[in-house]
Amino acid sequence: MHDVYNFVSGPLVWVAFIVFIAGSLYRVISLIMLVNKKEKFIFDYMSFKYSLRSIIRWSIPFATVNWRKHPVLTVVTFAFHICLIVAPLFILAHSVLIDESWNISWWSFSDTIGDIMTVIVIAGSIFFLIRRVVLPEVKFVTSASDYVILAIVAAPFITGFIAYHQWFAYPNMMIFHIISGEIMLMAIPFTRLRHMLLSPFTRAYMGSEFGGVRHSKDW
Amino acid sequence: MKKRTIFIAILLFFSVFVFMAAYSQEDIKFVDNSAFAKPERAPSLFAHDEHNENAELEECSECHHVYDEDGKKIEDESSEDQMCSDCHAEKASGSKLALMKAFHTNCKGCHVKEKKGPVMCGECHVNNPAAGK
Ligand code: HEC
Ligand code: HEC
Ligand code: HEC
Ligand code: HEM
Repeated sequence: MHDVYNFVSGPLVWVAFIVFIAGSLYRVISLIMLVNKKEKFIFDYMSFKYSLRSIIRWSIPFATVNWRKHPVLTVVTFAFHICLIVAPLFILAHSVLIDESWNISWWSFSDTIGDIMTVIVIAGSIFFLIRRVVLPEVKFVTSASDYVILAIVAAPFITGFIAYHQWFAYPNMMIFHIISGEIMLMAIPFTRLRHMLLSPFTRAYMGSEFGGVRHSKDW
Repeated sequence: MKKRTIFIAILLFFSVFVFMAAYSQEDIKFVDNSAFAKPERAPSLFAHDEHNENAELEECSECHHVYDEDGKKIEDESSEDQMCSDCHAEKASGSKLALMKAFHTNCKGCHVKEKKGPVMCGECHVNNPAAGK
């Protein structure tokens, strides 16, 4: 068990972070290069003001017509995404390990807050799963890969939740948790999870086109 | 009169049990976490004497150390008459580690090095030790 733990919490962490960061850079740079080659004119009408205006608008719950039209989806989407990103960064155990590994005294919140945020992510995943199965208009655009992505995202939260509460198979659950977290990180640049990286760019593009070209709002 | 004697005898009898129960607490099973203002975790498993026998630790100063002014460990002195928290506060001060990090570095550090003993959070901070190990 020591050898397995040392491997997944040592070298594999490095591999995961390097793949995640290098892959993300590759994605963003290749997007910009592609635009540069094919549709250079886009740069002419990209506007910092309208980009920012659109990104901020869409980052506020209920600030857009689309958000207001789907109140339940809006609440779940915001709660899910905020917890998904913030929880892993400041979970107490992660902070303890960051401090032990790199001597960085990182911020953390209490185990209770971490636990609540984890439940929100798991509940959100179940909501999105049911939505895909039940709503015909969503089911229609759903492929197998959507379920795989949902599973990749939910896995570290489910295994972390079970491990934290020490309900069963503690050491194995801990190993699964670490591996599933590493898989999720590495999957971000290479699956549709890359919308985490690219959505600000698509939003900026939409905002600039609507604001600068059509002189209207994109919300 | 007789009743009172019996009553006192019974009282004495039970107080011996209470005293013994309290006394056996001296046999450390967990690392005391009362120096932490608001503990987040269950206290760590640690049967002091048994542990050190299993791990073949003979030198008390392996953990209960003493440092001189220059931050050099004094080899033939030990500090088992003090709590770790007497010197290591909840927040780090100078070159002295914060209390939690002092414990983790000391305990987990050795387990990692020896490849023996617990290294994952829940192996030490066992939520329900009766159901666990
Ligand atoms: C008499 C005071 C004192 C007591 C008691 C004490 N320490 Fe320390 N400890 C120090 C000082 C001083 C240093 C820092 C030395 C330096 O300047 O690097 C230190 C350093 C450490 C370090 C880092 C260096 C190393 O040995 O790896 C750890 C870990 C540590 N202490 C753990 C503990 C634990 C665990 C206990 C209780 C079993 C404990 N200490 C009890 C004074 C104390
Ligand atoms: C210098 C090395 C060393 C230090 C320091 C140390 N341990 Fe251990 N520990 C071991 C070894 C070796 C074992 C495995 C013993 C065996 O072979 O079963 C072990 C086993 C354990 C176990 C498993 C049950 C048992 O008692 O065998 C627990 C729990 C534990 N250690 C807790 C702690 C805690 C808590 C601390 C810090 C206060 C600590 N250890 C400090 C070496 C160390
Ligand atoms: C080798 C045993 C060991 C391991 C592994 C270990 N700890 Fe600890 N930890 C201790 C000891 C001993 C203390 C001192 C007080 C106590 O008994 O809780 C402590 C204290 C703490 C404290 C401060 C007291 C409190 O309850 O708020 C926190 C927080 C903590 N540990 C979290 C963790 C986390 C998170 C992990 C996993 C990343 C972890 N520990 C792994 C032994 C361990
Ligand atoms: C034979 C050598 C040792 C002796 C005589 C000894 C003695 C003691 C004593 C008397 C205490 C109680 C302190 C108090 O309550 O004021 C104590 C606590 C403690 N000892 Fe040791 N010790 C020895 C070896 C070790 C070793 C090798 C370790 C590290 C693995 C260790 C870790 C601890 C810890 C963490 C506590 C705090 C326990 C608690 O507060 O619940 N000791 N020790």
